[in-house]
Amino acid sequence: MLRRKKEKEEKEKEGEKKSSEVKEAIAGLIYGMSAHAVTRQMLKTRMYLEHLFMLITLGDMMGIPILPPYYSLKLLPYAVPNVKTWKRSMLKERDVTDMLY
Amino acid sequence: MLSLKEFFEKKPRIKVIVNAGKGGLGKTTSSAAMSYWFAKNGKKPLCFSTDPQASLSDIFEMDIFGKGIIEIEKNLFVVEIDADRRIKEFQEEVRNKIKTMYGIDEIPEEIDEYIETSAYEPAMHESATYDAMADLLSKGEFNPYVFDMPPFGHGVRMVSMARILDAWIDKMEETRRKAAEYAQAAAYLKGISSRSEEEILNELRSIREKLDFFREVLTDPDSCAFFMVIIPEKMAILDTERAIEMFRKLDIEMAGVIVNQVYPRELLDRPDVGEFLKRRVEMQQAYLKEIKEKFGDYVRAVVPMFDREPKGMEMIAKVAEHLFEKPGLEVFE
Repeated sequence: MLRRKKEKEEKEKEGEKKSSEVKEAIAGLIYGMSAHAVTRQMLKTRMYLEHLFMLITLGDMMGIPILPPYYSLKLLPYAVPNVKTWKRSMLKERDVTDMLY
Repeated sequence: MLSLKEFFEKKPRIKVIVNAGKGGLGKTTSSAAMSYWFAKNGKKPLCFSTDPQASLSDIFEMDIFGKGIIEIEKNLFVVEIDADRRIKEFQEEVRNKIKTMYGIDEIPEEIDEYIETSAYEPAMHESATYDAMADLLSKGEFNPYVFDMPPFGHGVRMVSMARILDAWIDKMEETRRKAAEYAQAAAYLKGISSRSEEEILNELRSIREKLDFFREVLTDPDSCAFFMVIIPEKMAILDTERAIEMFRKLDIEMAGVIVNQVYPRELLDRPDVGEFLKRRVEMQQAYLKEIKEKFGDYVRAVVPMFDREPKGMEMIAKVAEHLFEKPGLEVFE
């Protein structure tokens, strides 16, 4: 009896797992079809804002001193993960094809 | 014409006194003497030097450079900040913060380079001192705070810097808030949680609060008094005129002018005084007239030239006496 009960429970669990996987896949599909573009745009805007913030706080890394260095240093820890991409995007050469992306 | 003592009696709420002026005219001496007088008259002043050269140590004939706040006589507190050391400690603090924030043992090279080189920026010294001043002021443990500001450009720049910074911090807060909104919205759509922006906004707010507080104190004529220390010479007079103009632009009202290093007029009547000295006395008398015409009502005290350098507690007491008890304003009558 006990064994049977256990087996039954395991089967139920597996069923739940499967249905949650299906749910996830459907959610992913809907997300991809509807919201993905919006999200991308939003993240892009966020990136620009982030870069603006970086420019104000750490502009002197590029030779544009805006904030006195004492306060730049105070804010530096929060900007650490973004420094590399920011520098790259600021120093990148740009041409017309950039507009396409 | 209000004497220095009358001025402070009329404005009992003054809690910050700033002495500005060209180098070597007696700003630090005046600050020390004013602090001395306040300490003797039942207040608890803090004399603060923003000068990178250790001049308070010289005046009090005691090594106080970089030693923190010291009670040099009963109720008389002095502090002379070692900005270089402060910057070093601050750099270390930033490094440690990065290490603990991201759980790393080594700081990325380009970040470390940036931290290292920032110490050599010309504005670093200034902004570190400025931050130290704002820190001390916001604690409010002393009254009054007597600042001795290096050549007036700095002093004025500090106030204007507070304004510019304020505008920038506004912008930064705005970009942070917007960035956070976008991140949150994107995260919501994507079904993940976004990291909190609170900490960075708090940091920005605390910087701004400090600056605002500082600016408010400095620009309120009831709580802050700006004095210009001058001597009866052409250059000092021109400099003071420019400073008054700049103060006006920043909405700062000048509290008064202290005329320092004045030779006693009586020297002219003494037969034993040589021609050379008499010439100087005459020159000073001419410039005193000019000072009267230009700054008349603003002159708060006239401090004589002493026969030796005003150093040590005894001389400081003497200067204080001239500043407050016998301001010598009769030369302008």
